[in-house]
Amino acid sequence: MSRNWDLLKKEFNDRIASAPSLQALEQLRIELLGKKGSVNALMQEMKNLLPEERKDFGMAVNNLKKSVETAIAGKLTELKENELNEKLAKEKIDITLPASDFTYGTLHPLTIVQQEIEDIFVAMGYAVVEGPEVEFDVYNFEKANIPADHPARDMQDTFYVDVERLLRTQTTAIQMRVLEAQGNKLPIKVICPGKVYRRDDDDATHSHQFTQIEGLVVGEGITQADLKGTLELFARSMFGPQREIRLRQSYFPFTEPSQEIDVSCHVCGGKGCSTCKGTGWIEILGSGMVHPHVLDMAGIESTKYSGFAFGIGVERTAMLKYGIDDIRNLYLNNLKFLRNYKRFD
Amino acid sequence: MKVTYNWLKQYMDLSDITPDQIAETLTKGGLEVEGMEKTASATNLIIGKVLECVDHPDSDHLHVCQVDTGDSVRQIVCGAPNVAAGQKVIVALPGCILPGGEIKSGVIRGQKSDGMICALFELGVDRKQLTERQLSGIEVLPEDAVVGNREVLKYLNLDDTVFDVSLTPNRADCLSMWALAKEVGAMLNKKVTLPDYSYQAETIPATFKLESQTDKCPLFEGKIINHVVIKPSPKWLQDLLHSAGVKAINNVVDISNFVMLETGQPLHFYDLAKIPLREITVKTGLEETYTALDGIDYAIKPEDIMITTGGKAIGIAGVMGGDDSKIDDDTKGIIIEAATFNSVSIRNTARRLGLDTEASQHFIKGIDPLGGHKAVERSVQLLIELADASGIEETVLCGSNDYEGTVLNASVRKINGLLATDFTEDQIYSVFERLDFNPEKVDEDIIRTEIPSYRRDISVWQDLAEEVVRILGYENIGSTLPLIPTVQGGLSEKQKNKRTIQRILNGLGMNEIICYSLVSAAKINEGILSAGEPVEISNALSDERRYFRTSLLPSMLETASYNVARSNTEYGLFEIANVYNNNNEEQQHLSVALSAHKTVSRWQKLTDNNDFYTIKGIVIAILDKLGYAEKRLSFVPESSSQKVLHPNKSADVYLDRTLIGKIGIIHPACRKKYDLDECVLGEINLDAVYSIRNTKIKFTPIPRYPAVSYDLAMIVNEEVTGEQIIKTVKKAGNNLLRDVTIFDIYRGENIGAGNKSVAVSVTYQSDEKTLSEDDIREVHQTIIGRLKNNLKAVLRDS
Repeated sequence: MSRNWDLLKKEFNDRIASAPSLQALEQLRIELLGKKGSVNALMQEMKNLLPEERKDFGMAVNNLKKSVETAIAGKLTELKENELNEKLAKEKIDITLPASDFTYGTLHPLTIVQQEIEDIFVAMGYAVVEGPEVEFDVYNFEKANIPADHPARDMQDTFYVDVERLLRTQTTAIQMRVLEAQGNKLPIKVICPGKVYRRDDDDATHSHQFTQIEGLVVGEGITQADLKGTLELFARSMFGPQREIRLRQSYFPFTEPSQEIDVSCHVCGGKGCSTCKGTGWIEILGSGMVHPHVLDMAGIESTKYSGFAFGIGVERTAMLKYGIDDIRNLYLNNLKFLRNYKRFD
Repeated sequence: MKVTYNWLKQYMDLSDITPDQIAETLTKGGLEVEGMEKTASATNLIIGKVLECVDHPDSDHLHVCQVDTGDSVRQIVCGAPNVAAGQKVIVALPGCILPGGEIKSGVIRGQKSDGMICALFELGVDRKQLTERQLSGIEVLPEDAVVGNREVLKYLNLDDTVFDVSLTPNRADCLSMWALAKEVGAMLNKKVTLPDYSYQAETIPATFKLESQTDKCPLFEGKIINHVVIKPSPKWLQDLLHSAGVKAINNVVDISNFVMLETGQPLHFYDLAKIPLREITVKTGLEETYTALDGIDYAIKPEDIMITTGGKAIGIAGVMGGDDSKIDDDTKGIIIEAATFNSVSIRNTARRLGLDTEASQHFIKGIDPLGGHKAVERSVQLLIELADASGIEETVLCGSNDYEGTVLNASVRKINGLLATDFTEDQIYSVFERLDFNPEKVDEDIIRTEIPSYRRDISVWQDLAEEVVRILGYENIGSTLPLIPTVQGGLSEKQKNKRTIQRILNGLGMNEIICYSLVSAAKINEGILSAGEPVEISNALSDERRYFRTSLLPSMLETASYNVARSNTEYGLFEIANVYNNNNEEQQHLSVALSAHKTVSRWQKLTDNNDFYTIKGIVIAILDKLGYAEKRLSFVPESSSQKVLHPNKSADVYLDRTLIGKIGIIHPACRKKYDLDECVLGEINLDAVYSIRNTKIKFTPIPRYPAVSYDLAMIVNEEVTGEQIIKTVKKAGNNLLRDVTIFDIYRGENIGAGNKSVAVSVTYQSDEKTLSEDDIREVHQTIIGRLKNNLKAVLRDS
């Protein structure tokens, strides 16, 4: 008596492969592998065989059993996977619906610009020094070479508290404090950011409160070329590596010589556009070599030491950088405005 | 300061220099040209003659003219009422660009028109400088105008350019055309020739008494001219005055204005007949109402410098003359005044009276100490020439001129050292020559200079270095970086902390704001963490901005209110700024405001609302990050009578024993006042925080054995606080106790009114072994006992 084992295997495997569901597969498993199942029935036949036939028969039944087990296991995985896929398909969501709100907050644009400028100079080894906004006349004016009857006082209409005190009109006041405090610990390399106040009516280009950052370097042998090189580096860090700067004669009581510094326009690259009013240049800084009187007043020998100073308007820089057309926008704090300034670029 | 190309051309040869070049040179040299304007602008003009003028057949006001323009006869339709045959006129040919647009050939109501006959204002001439007649019709040229001449603007003297020069305060000398011309000449390297003001006339002895009774008038020069003839000024003088924006009046008045423009020295001419005493006294101390030249009454105070005769005021010195002694058509003789007045005094008077006159501007900015004499002499010369002046008396001088010339030695080496340049001695010498500094080489490396009287800005050698570089050009400066010993830079701890706080709050989705420091008295009173008595501005612009903030929350409330009114109803805002008190103490504060309602996802109806515990958590998070552990903080009920925070949903925040801030829910009254919905507020005095030592991070070993937690549920009276429960547990616990947290609070009928159920989780852990129930039985029982005894707690399920 011989059987076609291959045919049997094929028949079983085909039935397993076509099982439509997990239940059908389980029934088939019982039918094939259960106590009263087909495989067991074959095993029962063995005792009717001759001893010499049993070995081969036994091996053949075992092979068949393994094949069925493997096929069932394979089918089980397949059916489970199908079932999961069906379940997942039903769970489909509309991924285009709005996200939950986890917006990162913003820094005020003036803070962004101030920190950017601070970081450029900190990288060059400058210390950041602040000072009082309610200041003494002596630091704001006298020590900055602007005595009581100096016409430059007219340039800066001042909020006075009393005869001695005022709201500082320029962060130069901080520089004068630094010179006084560190005059015996040269060299000095500082930048001084802060709020300043002028007795101006607010309009699109004027604000009674604004922000300045001034820089001061004092040491032996500091020259006008050091000033130019430093500010060139600054302009390129702030407005791009292609920027050029040009110095124009100007006047500040605490520097001599004094210059305004123009940076080639970052919008048009110097060809002329509406941002630079067609000139190709944008006025961005005031600067100069520290006036010998200022050094002398601080007890620093002006015959031995020299220095340079510069000042940057933070509002003006922010307005240029972001194209803000009215300075008052910076002080209204409208969230629709503030939320624009997400990036630190 | 306005100056024109034609005005400068009087003094130097500008044939090879364009107006654009002048503007560029001046700006580079420190006299910034802020604007440049053509007196008139038109292309393609020609002078024509109207041969025939007939009424337009289809119009009641147009005329059809046949105009000879030399090369041809054109038909032009003209609407001007004054056009007539025989006139010489300005014709704009087709293609001409006028300020109003381009002229084209065309047909006007059926009549061909080949150009336009122009009025002066149509060429862009400032209407203020034109007469009624010129404004209402075409310009009729003199008989001798040459038909076919295309250089029409030149013929009309309108080919001029006005430069608007912005002067820095140190260069008030350039308020004088002569000094400005010198400056332009120096920058362009042109020889400047100023008018010679000597004159040939007999002078007669003075019949005039002059006195100054105040040190605010150190110098006064007066001169009587007994006879002058009033008439209109010649055209050249009128043209020059017009170009400087000054209206021509008559020859004598025009001369006083013109000489002030030339020399920068304000002059005043009095009608001699109206000062019969022939005496002038300058004094202070008057207090009266005075009618000035403009017909307005001014309240004079004792500190004002006044010009008087016979004890009666005839002018506000340096500001404005009087109506009753002014030059008019009947003037036959004059007194010339050229004085020096104290600039601060003039500034105060001019400001108080709101009289910002040309003369006061000159005095305030500073005048040439030797300008008075120059101005008087130049006036006399012009009065002789243009007003038939005679009977010229000697000048009467009151006071003295203590001007001493400035002599400075310039070292070529030092100048090059400061500028990091290699200018030669000859280059530097030539700069001083161009500037009229009268240079003289006195030693190896040393050039001696004599500074002209009007250059009062030059006093040290560095000033000379500036002159050298601005004249020779800043393009000679190289770029280097300072070669000095390295010093420690960077941000201070406080500055770093500020950035840390900004980052934390940004991370919580909050937006930074920056507000004005100056606020109203009402805002000062609303401060909840006031730095003290406010700093008051003595010359405030308004009551709204009279005080320096002593607390930040009022501005924060205003900002929240502003945003809510603009539909920004969900917000998280913060500000870090300095506040001050009147003892010059500065405090850096942080203020925070969060709307109570916060949507996370609208369509999912997800919210993450803010309440008292949000702001409490924010404060703890910030302080923890700054190195102040939560256990050092305590929150005690806010005790003041302020109306900004809800009295029972607010806290004073203490760090160790120092009050550092106030937090809470907005008070309903405040909410109503600012038209806000419920919100959470806080203000922290960061300087108070920084005055207390923080702790550094220390390594703590990672626990090796697991922790066990036991929950305790208890019923306590409402008055028992969470803090009391936690403290009681902690106090009763031993070294195995690691943590106590409240995880549930329940109120309900089943536990009785006035009670609440509080559930806490108590965590134990050992560094030596895994804890069994036996290990903690004793301490847990102690805790339970303490809760029962101290807090009258009824433990549930145990």
